[in-house]
Amino acid sequence: MTLQWQPSPPDHVPTELMIDFDFFKIPKGITDPIQIWHGLVRQGVPPIFYTPHNGGHWVFLKYDDIVEGYRNYGIFSTHQTPIPPIEPFPVVQPQGMDPPEHNVFRRVLAPMFTPLAVRRMTEGLQHRAETMISHFAEKSRCDFIDDYASKFPTSTFLELFGLAEERLQEFLDLAHIFFRSTDPTERAQNLNDIYAVLEEMFREKERSPGPDMASTIVAARDANGNPHPWEDILNCGFLLFVAGLDTVTNTMAYVWRYLAITPGARAHFRSKLDDPAAFLIAIEELMRINAVSNIFRRVTHDCEYKGIRFRKNDRVILPNTVANRDRSVFDNPHTIDLDRKVNNHVTFGVGPHRCIGSHLAKREIMISLQEWLRQIPEFELDEEQDEGSVFGGSVMGFTSLKLRW
Amino acid sequence: MSMRVVANLNVCQGHARCEDLCPEVFSTDAVEGKVVIEQPEFPPELEEKVRLAVRNCPEGALRITKGGKA
Ligand code: HEM
Ligand code: SF4
Repeated sequence: MTLQWQPSPPDHVPTELMIDFDFFKIPKGITDPIQIWHGLVRQGVPPIFYTPHNGGHWVFLKYDDIVEGYRNYGIFSTHQTPIPPIEPFPVVQPQGMDPPEHNVFRRVLAPMFTPLAVRRMTEGLQHRAETMISHFAEKSRCDFIDDYASKFPTSTFLELFGLAEERLQEFLDLAHIFFRSTDPTERAQNLNDIYAVLEEMFREKERSPGPDMASTIVAARDANGNPHPWEDILNCGFLLFVAGLDTVTNTMAYVWRYLAITPGARAHFRSKLDDPAAFLIAIEELMRINAVSNIFRRVTHDCEYKGIRFRKNDRVILPNTVANRDRSVFDNPHTIDLDRKVNNHVTFGVGPHRCIGSHLAKREIMISLQEWLRQIPEFELDEEQDEGSVFGGSVMGFTSLKLRW
Repeated sequence: MSMRVVANLNVCQGHARCEDLCPEVFSTDAVEGKVVIEQPEFPPELEEKVRLAVRNCPEGALRITKGGKA
């Protein structure tokens, strides 16, 4: 097999732009993985730099450049972007395509994720949040990740895709290996398992469609009225499975961890339980501060950007957390201001690939927190987070978060 | 003179921050989730909220003009 998407050796990179940085590695003593990015900014490294780790890639550290990375798909493509570079790599739909082809599946998904559509999910989300929290509310402690933050978005996926609630453990196990395993054999088997489950699900929904997303995706027709290629349908289901789990889980983990150590913030949210608009403004600020995903791009052709030479297939990382604390855009960027008036964060990206699940994600988090505070108004960390429980990478977060009340 | 708010739909990506901040003037459509301006000529008492929505649009898709037709 000839490899098509490998970056070239970095002999086009000037030595002053070469920095030793591994975004998977969290140094000892760091209990908040987001801090590795802000450490770079504090060190004063160049705002566009290159690291030889993980196959070699650029990093953008300015809000404007990160936004350019999202918007300028002529240079910064979403097609074939994994870091470290892996081939072959599935082309997920719609994220792995640049416009205009991107729109083929974006169009299919968009109506199911509008604010209007998400508002109709509210009751279901509320009911599940209430029930899930009530299972441990009396116990006075929980591991927030296992008992809630990974379960809730996974059960949301089951509901949206019209799958039986009884399959929760099966999907939790699939997701757990997918996100946490580092064993290549186990990972390969896991991908096969996930695709086998999706295959069976879409075949079933093709035979007997219901009012769910899987049925809508499989029944969708392209601009000429033809069914979409089966492989694309699977890759779209795969993206929806993986995009809305670890992101939501770890954002929640960050939010609950902050609330556990910040009584004033708990009081703030409790005081806004009957004021959803103000509650949402405060959530939006926690979305800004807790941007867990780092997004990848691939350079489409040899070119110059801001006077720096880029080569075709160079990889680029856009760390949202850095954009969100750029002092040229945000006043007091490291301060958490739950009433922040102007908040143009890029936690969900910008441009054509803007997170299609952003309204759902925010609603999941908002409803979960409202239900939680009704049942568990006060809570704290059960024990100091041990160092082994943090991880970096494309989504940053925690493997465990022990709370008590 | 009354104020008017206009949207560039080529730039709007459907973040709905405008709708969250000022539902009196902004909503989003059911197909693409892009902004719909329900009340282009908004009353002065909504000016602050509309300005806030405009400043919070991550795509810079909204603009306020003075009166008349845009
Ligand atoms: C807090 C939680 C979430 C965060 C931080 C997040 C973040 C992001 C970001 C930054 C992008 C842009 C990717 C790019 O430009 O390459 C994205 C895209 C996407 N997200 Fe999310 N996401 C979250 C939750 C969800 C949920 C709940 C779903 C769906 C169930 C979802 C589905 C998607 C999809 C399908 C895309 C690709 C959109 C496209 O390419 O047009 N996300 N997400
Ligand atoms: S905030 Fe901006 S991008 Fe989002 S829906 Fe409103 S106008 Fe469109």
